[in-house]
Amino acid sequence: MNWTHFVYFALPAALCWVGGALFAYKNDAYRRTIILTAFGLCIFFAFILGMWISLERPPLRTMGETRLWYSFFLPVAGLIMYIRWRYKWILSFSTLMALVFICINLFRPEIHNKTMMPALQSPWFAPHVIVYMFAYAVLGAAAVIALYLLLRRNKAIMNVSVMSLCDNLAYVGTAFLTIGMLFGAIWAKDAWGHYWSWDPKETWAAATWLSYLIYIHYRQHKPSHYTIALGLLLFSFILLQVCWYGINYLPSAQGSSIHVYS
Amino acid sequence: MWMHPWKYIEGWSICTGLFITGMVLQLTTGSIEVDMFHYPVNLISGTVFILLLLFLHIYARKVVILQWFSGFEASITASVSLLVLVIIMGLTRQVSSPTDLSSIGGFARTGFMQMTTSWSFFLLFIYFLSILGLVILRRINCFRWKDAGFVLNHVGLFVALFAAILGSGDLQRLRMTASLDTPEWRATNEKNEITELPLAIELKSFRIDEYPPKLMILDNVTGKTLPETQPKSLLVETYPLLSTLLNWEVAITNYLSEAAALITEDTVSFVGFQSEGATSALYVKARNTIDGTIREGWVSCGSFMFPYRSLRLNDKESLIMPNREPKHFASNVIVYTQSKKIKKSLIEVNKPLSIAGWKIYQLNYDESMGKWSRISVFELVKDPWIPAVYSGILMMLAGAVYLFVSAPNPKKN
Ligand code: HEM
Repeated sequence: MNWTHFVYFALPAALCWVGGALFAYKNDAYRRTIILTAFGLCIFFAFILGMWISLERPPLRTMGETRLWYSFFLPVAGLIMYIRWRYKWILSFSTLMALVFICINLFRPEIHNKTMMPALQSPWFAPHVIVYMFAYAVLGAAAVIALYLLLRRNKAIMNVSVMSLCDNLAYVGTAFLTIGMLFGAIWAKDAWGHYWSWDPKETWAAATWLSYLIYIHYRQHKPSHYTIALGLLLFSFILLQVCWYGINYLPSAQGSSIHVYS
Repeated sequence: MWMHPWKYIEGWSICTGLFITGMVLQLTTGSIEVDMFHYPVNLISGTVFILLLLFLHIYARKVVILQWFSGFEASITASVSLLVLVIIMGLTRQVSSPTDLSSIGGFARTGFMQMTTSWSFFLLFIYFLSILGLVILRRINCFRWKDAGFVLNHVGLFVALFAAILGSGDLQRLRMTASLDTPEWRATNEKNEITELPLAIELKSFRIDEYPPKLMILDNVTGKTLPETQPKSLLVETYPLLSTLLNWEVAITNYLSEAAALITEDTVSFVGFQSEGATSALYVKARNTIDGTIREGWVSCGSFMFPYRSLRLNDKESLIMPNREPKHFASNVIVYTQSKKIKKSLIEVNKPLSIAGWKIYQLNYDESMGKWSRISVFELVKDPWIPAVYSGILMMLAGAVYLFVSAPNPKKN
């Protein structure tokens, strides 16, 4: 098994996932959605397994190999969230993200040849970034909902279920944020010898993370104080924007960040 | 205020008090000296800290006020205060050494420009960690399996932070420059003092794989690559190649990956040369897509032996080849340890070598010699607390998975 066989696994798997994502919008297709998505996962995992056997090591060494795992884990995450909360849109979202990474692997554009400083050529690089991106996306969804609720201060739409949607998104997002951050720390230790060096990007990542933790704990403490909680959610997302690209414009971060590549 | 039961207002007051205390200490005594904080001082302070938390935890049964410290109000106010400091830190430029501070003046005295060693940060951080510790103690007092997620997240964070702080005092970070075929056992620390190590490194060979050459267009007057905001480049992966770069149609008809410059009175040309000092050269024909002018000639990034060579396109622009970027660099080394162990190994970026309690990282090389560097710079790190930090991190990873998988059910009001 090698990369030339990838397309024969990736396409059927992708079709299953797209099918599952579409079924999710139909009312009576809950089981079909799950079965189709899971079937796609099996096909995809078969390829990973095949690579594993033929390489005689887990396929985790090159960038392309690690991307394989995201394409796999994104629908896994989507499926778990779908089963738990039955959000119709979640599978479309995870499928879309997975497709992006499948396409990168299929078409292998410059990414493989493009210059990339040696420190970034680490198996941690992709998980670190991907997990963060997934967190950004989920927390973005939470922020959009929070903004909508804050603007339409309408008691009728403010209820426990819409708040628990915010909570779910915040929990999932924070979980991924935590994982991304810890992967970053482990990688930094491996590449430079320190976990955390308070580089501007890291400082803002810490602020963002802390802010989401405050949201989680505030919700636990005062479940009925919606406005402050929603405000926290929005504020956290603003911190996230600073961390993501805002530091490129912050005078305090000029010339001192090792994260300029992103 | 200050009446049982305490609420948020007491929390804000405590944090403000700690902040002001920190400020006063900062202005009177300056930043915290972390030099002293190594074994056994760190271990003793750590033990005392844990014992103190245990004491507070047990004592809280008698003194009801102490129970407040393991509750949401204390946690949230402490977290918000820490968040404020981290945001200030993000907004102010951080400097690494106190000597950089003297030129800045008054503002530097706040300690905000070296936040992690400032008193306010220190006090609020310790307060935050203490509260986290008390929260954990209270909750695991009546542990049930459904608390597993809570324990993983909170204990994981506590262990990771605690161990990382205590460990920072015992962390040794040294820099060693090894030359070809000469065993080296001396290294310098962050203060540039020389230390002798219980191990020696002998560099057997050094190798750089480079990315293919790139072409860029340079502004003859300013010397900057164009367009200034986001310079464009053309990566020459194969040849012959026909492509465009800004307003120029560029044809590459020859590519010498290892070349020597032949310089005569008025021409420079390149020939293949597989030996020390070789540079890379491209033969380029460029046609301006607007006025049709054609220029051709060799372009090279040069090396320590040969000068670089650009192709002047017109009055304003020249075509240049920046130094080829390293894709991988690696050192073949032999490491000798005191226990007479000899280990041959390849050390690369992201692939450090672990030996005798040290981790050896590939850090740098002689950039002026580039590919032909005869030295290799390593960073040697000894961090005896690593297993503790990693166990904290692993717990948090498991906790995050738990956070993701488990249904968050906010307590119904
Ligand atoms: C890794 C970071 C953290 C995460 C993911 C996290 C998450 C959570 C969650 C999900 C809960 C409710 C779960 C339950 O009750 O079973 C909780 C409770 C709590 N957390 Fe955290 N937390 C974190 C850090 C902190 C920190 C740093 C503090 C304090 C400074 C703190 C203080 C508390 C308190 C006081 C409770 C209530 C416990 C109780 O009353 O039983 N947490 N946390």
